Amino acid sequence: MTTTLPTAPTGPGHPQPFTGTRTLGEPGQIDAEGVCAWFGGRLVLETVNLTMEQSKVTALIGPSGCGKSTFLRILNRMHEVVPGAQLAGSVKLDGVDIYGPGQRAMETRRHIGMVFQKPNPFPAMTIAENVLAGLKFSRSTPGDKDDLVQEALTKAGLWNEVKDRLGELGGALSGGQQQRLCIARSLAVRPRVLLMDEPCSALDPTSTLRIEQTIKEIADEVTVVIVTHNMQQAQRVSDYCAFFLAAENQPGRVIEAGRTEMIFGEPTDQRTFDYVNGQFG
Amino acid sequence: MAIDLDLAPRRPQAPAPTPITVTRDYSTPDKVFRWGVQASGLGVFLLLVAIGSFLAWSGWPAFKVAGWGFFTHSGPVLVGSHANFGVLASLTGTVEVAFVAMVFGAPVAICTALFLSEYAPLRSRRSLIAMIDLAAAIPSIIFGLWAFFELQPNVVGLSTWMSRHLAFIPFFKVTSPPLNASIFIAGLVVGIMIVPIVASICREVFSLAPAGEREAALALGASRWQMIRTVVLPFGRGGMIGAVMLGLGRALEETIAVTIILAGSYKVTGQILQHGGSTISQLIAINFNQSGGALGVHDLLLCGFVLFLLTLVINLAASAIVNRSRSGAGVDL
Repeated sequence: MTTTLPTAPTGPGHPQPFTGTRTLGEPGQIDAEGVCAWFGGRLVLETVNLTMEQSKVTALIGPSGCGKSTFLRILNRMHEVVPGAQLAGSVKLDGVDIYGPGQRAMETRRHIGMVFQKPNPFPAMTIAENVLAGLKFSRSTPGDKDDLVQEALTKAGLWNEVKDRLGELGGALSGGQQQRLCIARSLAVRPRVLLMDEPCSALDPTSTLRIEQTIKEIADEVTVVIVTHNMQQAQRVSDYCAFFLAAENQPGRVIEAGRTEMIFGEPTDQRTFDYVNGQFG
Repeated sequence: MAIDLDLAPRRPQAPAPTPITVTRDYSTPDKVFRWGVQASGLGVFLLLVAIGSFLAWSGWPAFKVAGWGFFTHSGPVLVGSHANFGVLASLTGTVEVAFVAMVFGAPVAICTALFLSEYAPLRSRRSLIAMIDLAAAIPSIIFGLWAFFELQPNVVGLSTWMSRHLAFIPFFKVTSPPLNASIFIAGLVVGIMIVPIVASICREVFSLAPAGEREAALALGASRWQMIRTVVLPFGRGGMIGAVMLGLGRALEETIAVTIILAGSYKVTGQILQHGGSTISQLIAINFNQSGGALGVHDLLLCGFVLFLLTLVINLAASAIVNRSRSGAGVDL
């Protein structure tokens, strides 16, 4: 599907700001190089080099406080929203450094969407308005709003449950439905990458499975990076895994990264083995 | 395999369930505390009623003499051998001063609050907030003196400009200069005075806007202003209206600063730029010592009752307007 948006493709060899037209629904690749993060002068994440492959699901796993979420938020410039947060290194979306000169955070976030731990639909907007919120921010006009709402909600696996009440408020849905609404809202702007920060940790098992199914279904259209504490979930949904760990009073680091089967089946690092087998600490 | 579910009630003859009465047995300290808070709550209400009825009761003799003319006349009016009093000029003056104050004060206060909660750098934010709160504590007589000696001479130029270029708006027409001691300047001072308190409340409300929804907007590619419009302002709408109404109440009753600035003439005027005008509180303040002359104490108390009713109505209206609002409400991007 080709639509025109005020955004642009960038080839790996031609770094340029995202302007002009581009083919949408194209998953992107993220290369993080030497990413470090500080909060109030304290180093919390050290030299992370990680590639998140196009059209694949990459899971970031590790114990609490090891910098997974911080790393995730660096990938779409949400880290800088936190007061006192600093970072170093580069994050390239299809070869273009999102922290490079001339790159605007709001533009980057339209290409790299995010779903949060706690469902956060706009409670006083209707379901349909929630889905369209991102497009309104970018002032782009979809050809047919109803089609887009249906498409996004279908992809997020929510359409059948809400198709007769699109005018109801987003805040009136159940937690699992709200989270899928948030996914639909993120997908509606057709991002190239979707970041998910423990999207199921506030949900019941049924909703969790439903969202995992959604992740698998959208993966060929959008690259997914998911932070999860749930080992089974990482195993179920991801193609690649990165194991983060922070030793006591040390910043978080990537201990091991690779294909999910490898990380869970035959990890090279003993700490990875211990963690994925639940023998940690 | 079929499971035989016994869905029939076990004892069909059992009586229909009735709710039980839950006894609330409070402990003694709890009872004492309960009584205490109840007493102060009721006390405030009673005080309000007492003040209202005192003013109505004491103003009644003046109303008996003046009749409804009290509301249609301005200043002392000679009726036969007796000087009746009318509140009209002061009432309109009060509303005009408050209106000017809100037009200038409310937007500045809301912008100040947005700056403090959304834009101010973290390092200077605390000290800026402390300064705003301190400004709220400046006595009004200080504002009055400052306005008389510093603000007024500088604002007269603006008044002159407005009277020349905006005279097609009836409010800004000037027929009898000078342009000092005007309702406009008094309103400006009061507007400045209400900024700290309104800004302080609005900032508090804005800072309570849910972080998750703020991040949701930003992560969807919203600019900071779009995020504010989608999340912060709709969430804070109720609080904002409340704060502005509180400011309005303050603007209606401001006495000393207005007394210092305003010329005090008993003439209904819509021409806010020129010398003259009065407000109810100013009228009471300047006449209280000499009451017994043309203006009896009952006249003043009746004026007080009018002001009391005015502020009461404003506050009731405010609470009717204020409805809890959440982010995304009424947003048309």
